Amino acid sequence: MEAAKRRQGALRRHLTGKSEEDVVVVCALRTPITKARKGGLKDTPADDLVAAVLKGVLDKTGVAPSDIGDIVMGSVLGSGSQRANECRIAMFYAGFPEEVPVRVVNRQCSSGLQAIADVVASIRSGFYDIGIAGGIETMSSNPMAWDGSINPRISDFEKAQGCLLPMGLTSENVAKKYGITRLEQDKFAVESHARAIRATETGRFDDEILPVRTKFVDKKTGEEKQVVVAHDDGMRKGLSLEKVQKLKPAFDPEGSTTAGNASQISDGAAATLLMKRSEAQRRGLPILGTFRSFSAVGVDPSIMGIGPAVAIPEAVKAAGLQTSDIDLFEINEAFASQAFYSCKKLGLDLGRVNVNGGAIALGHPLGCTGARCTATLLHEMRKRGSKYGVVSMCIGSGMGAAAVFERE
Amino acid sequence: MFYKTQFNGYSVKFSPYNEGRIAVATAQNFGIIGNGRQYVLDVTPQGLREVAAFDTVDGLYDCTWCEGNENVLASASGDGSVKVWDIAAPPQKNPIRSFEEHGHEVYCVNWNLVNRDCFLSASWDDTIKLWNLQSPGSLRTFAEHRYCCYAVAWCPTNGETFASASGDCTLKLWDIRQPASTLTIRAHEFEVLSCDWNKYEDFTLVTGSVDKTMRVWDIRQPSVPVRIMPGHNYAVRKVICSPHAGNLVASCSYDMTVCFWDIKAPGEPLVQRWAHHTEFAVGLDLSVLQEGMWASTGWDELVYVWHQSQDPRS
Repeated sequence: MEAAKRRQGALRRHLTGKSEEDVVVVCALRTPITKARKGGLKDTPADDLVAAVLKGVLDKTGVAPSDIGDIVMGSVLGSGSQRANECRIAMFYAGFPEEVPVRVVNRQCSSGLQAIADVVASIRSGFYDIGIAGGIETMSSNPMAWDGSINPRISDFEKAQGCLLPMGLTSENVAKKYGITRLEQDKFAVESHARAIRATETGRFDDEILPVRTKFVDKKTGEEKQVVVAHDDGMRKGLSLEKVQKLKPAFDPEGSTTAGNASQISDGAAATLLMKRSEAQRRGLPILGTFRSFSAVGVDPSIMGIGPAVAIPEAVKAAGLQTSDIDLFEINEAFASQAFYSCKKLGLDLGRVNVNGGAIALGHPLGCTGARCTATLLHEMRKRGSKYGVVSMCIGSGMGAAAVFERE
Repeated sequence: MFYKTQFNGYSVKFSPYNEGRIAVATAQNFGIIGNGRQYVLDVTPQGLREVAAFDTVDGLYDCTWCEGNENVLASASGDGSVKVWDIAAPPQKNPIRSFEEHGHEVYCVNWNLVNRDCFLSASWDDTIKLWNLQSPGSLRTFAEHRYCCYAVAWCPTNGETFASASGDCTLKLWDIRQPASTLTIRAHEFEVLSCDWNKYEDFTLVTGSVDKTMRVWDIRQPSVPVRIMPGHNYAVRKVICSPHAGNLVASCSYDMTVCFWDIKAPGEPLVQRWAHHTEFAVGLDLSVLQEGMWASTGWDELVYVWHQSQDPRS
């Protein structure tokens, strides 16, 4: 029967023209995404989260750890060298032999997606055949901060000053500049929660979430418990538009960006297993999707949220497609203002964007987000039978990134 | 004229010794699962007549005539074996050899036209093996391709040189006196299913690919193809350079057609298209002994032999 399967596979390849050189995703999973400092993973160290997803992709696929050519993890806030070392430590927790290398990539909020793009490029270049790409963020222990003083030279460079704006103010800038109203943002946020709750309650995330056995310290009693964290905990049940409308602006008293229509700070990790199509076929692994194209672009830092509106057309064009060909989008909801603007600008049907909710409800663990969105996208594409999907996000300091995935 | 085979046709080859004699490799159930049968057929005034038939336990994907003995031919089997038959030997003596080394399907066999004692086999185990009938095992294994090896073709002028086409999208050139391949061309973006050597210019090769195109290569300048020829609507399954003219190339495809090309034509290179098959056209050959004689076979269980000036169905 193995021969019959192989022969049918060869015939399918010959008839469909699926390139053997394509790099495909054979596994994509994530930990639950939980609220920083309050949620289920608040006491879980970064290396434990990374180890969980690394081990998760190996267990799910049966690929031997020694077959992995490289591991690349997106990470934003964790201190550079320490985080790189934590990822190396995590490998050993996950059962990797010392021969397998690892590195960390940081392109801010796109880091998880950049990690995937980097591994795809390395496999295509022949550096290795199989790689793991993912992302990690523990915002409970690594808050957003700026160390040291600011170089006074920056006063001579207007664009550079934009890089220092708090993200919330860039959201206000986008809302003001493009006329995105508070009501539009709040409706978008409420819908994100509603979708995330529906997805959770109907088991829509079951294929992508890897439950994590970990410790949890009760803040009141100080008691440490062993728990299994199996679900996202950011979304709010029964959140009404009225409630969200009552929230005060968080960054500008006259503004429209509130805690309710911005992404949450969160903890989480995600990983994908990537290899050439030929390798996946040889191993009999299911192909979740083919990585078709990637684009990172630069935009004005003071309106960094428009990134997806610029990056998506670029990535779609690079894949030889048009935006109208895309069936499903995961666009990171850093802020409702910029996510809504990007959809509006590109004329996207909101029924195809973040169908299981986005970062406003689920949370935005910065370095993890790109890989988290990829896992969510690919599993949803499979359930819907979608052909093409896009993951995109805006990037603090003024960039955008997008990737196109194709399902078999 | 045509002949109905019991199984699906995979390959057809004109005998280098007997005008109008062909070998046809076939496989049951489209070669997915089941038995195989190697036919030898003769063109007679009454049509194609069976001379010999050999049954195998797995499908046969290709065959090649021995260049040194008119009665001997070899078949490529799905079970990884290479069977050698002698049509002059009694049935119980056949196969006279069964070489069992390849780990997966053997997809191509090609006898050396110059050093007539040896032949090559190409397999889905990604390797190519060199054999002769005197040695019990392979003389050498060429293991550089990173995916299925679909085709091998000896250079028509040099008995030490051959080309191979692979699912790893490359065309490789080899000299059996060298430890490694001598040239690797990233020939297509998709799997390369076939290759052949121009019989008049030994620096020119043609490849056929899943990308539906055929490409002409000058190995002295291998970075870009000399010519890209679209025209088939599905993967190109087989390309053959004419033994009678340096500019003519034949091809067959999963699009069920057989095509005739002029690779030197200043304009459209497609000379003629035949659509006599009603399923994938996967086997094709041009007679060396009779100029203009073609043979094709396909999954419609039919073998056609015709002169290019005529309709294959007539």
